[in-house]
Amino acid sequence: MTAYLLNLATLATIFGILAASLNLLIGYAGIFSVAHAVFFGLGAYAGAQVAMLLVPDVLLACLAGGAVAALLSLGLALPALRVRGEYFVAASLGLQMMAVTVFSEAHALTGGHGGLVGIPLPTLLGFDVSAQGVFLTVCLAVLALILLAIRMLMRGSFGRSLMAIRDSESAAEAFGKDVRQLKTLVVVLGCALAGVGGALFSFYMMFVNVESFTLEQSILIMAMVIIGGTATLAGPLVGVLLLLLLPAALSFLPFIPPTQIGAVQQFIYGLAMALLMIFRPAGIAGQSAGRR
Amino acid sequence: MLFLQLFISGLQTGAIYALTAAGFALIFGATRVFHVAHGATFALAGYAYLACTDAGLPWPAGALAALVLAVAFGLAMDAFIYRPIQRHEGSFFTVFVAAFGMSIVVQSVIELVFGRGFVTVSSALTMARQVAPGIYLADIFWVAAGVAIALFVLVTLFLERTRAGIGLRALSENPELLRAYGLSSRRLSAMAFGLGSALAVPGAILTTMTSGLQPAISHQVMLISLAAAVVGGIGSLRGAALAGLLLGVVENLVIGVLDTQWSAAAGFVVLFAFILFKPSGLFGQAVTR
Repeated sequence: MTAYLLNLATLATIFGILAASLNLLIGYAGIFSVAHAVFFGLGAYAGAQVAMLLVPDVLLACLAGGAVAALLSLGLALPALRVRGEYFVAASLGLQMMAVTVFSEAHALTGGHGGLVGIPLPTLLGFDVSAQGVFLTVCLAVLALILLAIRMLMRGSFGRSLMAIRDSESAAEAFGKDVRQLKTLVVVLGCALAGVGGALFSFYMMFVNVESFTLEQSILIMAMVIIGGTATLAGPLVGVLLLLLLPAALSFLPFIPPTQIGAVQQFIYGLAMALLMIFRPAGIAGQSAGRR
Repeated sequence: MLFLQLFISGLQTGAIYALTAAGFALIFGATRVFHVAHGATFALAGYAYLACTDAGLPWPAGALAALVLAVAFGLAMDAFIYRPIQRHEGSFFTVFVAAFGMSIVVQSVIELVFGRGFVTVSSALTMARQVAPGIYLADIFWVAAGVAIALFVLVTLFLERTRAGIGLRALSENPELLRAYGLSSRRLSAMAFGLGSALAVPGAILTTMTSGLQPAISHQVMLISLAAAVVGGIGSLRGAALAGLLLGVVENLVIGVLDTQWSAAAGFVVLFAFILFKPSGLFGQAVTR
C-alpha cells in the first residue's frame, strides 16, 4: 500500500511539472500548444540516453533533457510567432503527429516501438537516490524549484509582459514589448521544463517508449491545466491530482470491469472538460468570470 | 505501376477526406466554430451503419440511421455545447476544449459498446479486379468518386443558388446585418451544422467497408479534416475538398517512397509547411486574426 501511494505521489509530482510548464504557455502566454508530450518525450529520451551512455546522474540527465527539449522547442516557437488561434493549434497538432512517427521510427535514438530498456538506477552527485521515498523527494524538490521560479517570473516584468501579449498582442507591441522575443523565450522555457519532467520520468519508469508521448498524453496534460485552472499556480496541480486520482479511485469501484476503466476514465474527463467550459471556463482553481 | 496503383487508392481515400473536410469547412465558414468534434460525427455515423448491417438490416436503412445520428449529433453540439459557451464568453480555446472533451466522450462510449478492435462490414463492392497489368480496382472506387463529385456539386449549387445557401454565406460575413434582414442566425447556424455533419456520413460508410473502423478513428478524421481545412484555406469549401484529396493522395504516394509508417505523418508535414509558409492556404484570404 505504501509503495502504491508513493508511486502515485511520484507520478503526480512529474505530471505536476508538466502541467505547470504547460500552464506557462497556455495560461500566461496564450499559446495553446497541443504538443506538450513531444517535449516531455524529448526530455525522457535524452535523459535516458545520458543515463545509459554516461552516468545515471539525475541532475545531468535533467539538464540534458531540458536542453534537448529547449533546442527543439524552436519547432513550436516558429509557428507561434507566425500564426495565432486555430492556426497555431493546428500547427501544434501537426508537430505532435510528426513527432510520434519520428519517435517510433528513429530506432537508434529512441529504440522505436520497443523503447529504451534498462535505464540504470538514478544517483545524485554520487549518492544513490533510487529508493522510492528518496526519489519522490528529489522530484518534489524539482517541482518546488520550478513552481518558485514560475511564481517569481510571473510576478516580475517578464510575466506581466507575457500576460499583456496574451490579452492583446497589438496593445503590448504598441507599448514597446518585443513580442517575438518574449514568445520565443516562454516557449523555450515551458518546453525545457517539460524536458526536465521527461528525464525524471525515464529514471522513474526505468523504461521509455513512444506510448507515453502520444497526442492522448498531450491532451491529458492540457486537460489537467484547463480543469485545474489556467494562469494560477495551484490550478494545474489541482488538475493533476484530480485526473491522476480518478483512475485510482475508479479501480476501487467493484462494478466496473478492470478492462473498461480506461474508457470510463476518458468518458469522465471528456465530460468534465466540456461541462467546465460551459459553466466555469476559468477552471476549478481559477478566478471567476471577468478575469482572463 | 506501383505509383499508379497508389495514386488510385490515394484518390479513393482523398475523396472520403474531401467530403468530410468540406463538412468541417462549411461549419467553420458559416459559424466560425472550430468544430473538432466533427471526427466524432464521422465515427458515430460509421458505427451506426455497422450496427444496422450487423442487425441484418439492408444498407439503405443503415445509411439512413447513420445520417440521422450524425445530423442529430451535429445539431446537439451546436445547441448544447457551442451556443451556451458563446453566450457568456466564446473564446476560441474554450470552444476547442469543450468540443475536444465531447469527442473524447464519444470515443469512450464507442469503446464501451463496440470494443477497441477494428471492425468492418464486408461488401461485394470492395472486391478488387485487375483492370490493367498490375492495376487493381474495386467498384467502391467509382462509388466513392461518384458520391464525392455529386455531393460536392449539390452543396455548391445549394450555397450559390438558394436563399438558405446565400443566408449561410452571409452568416460568415456579417451576422448583424443578417439579423437586420430578418433572418435567424440561430436557424442558419443549425443548418450549417446539420449539413456539415451530413457530409461526413458517406465517407464514414465507405470507410466502414474499406479500411474499417476503430474508436480512435474520430481523432484521425478530426485531424485530417482540420489539416485539410487549414491547407485549403480556412472557410473555403473548395479549398478544403481539394486539400482533402491532396492529403489522401500524398498519404498513399509516400508509401511508395518511404515506409508505410510514414504515411500518417506525411499529411501533417504538408499541414505544418502550409502554416509556416502560406497560412492563408490554397484558397483562403489572408489571416486576419
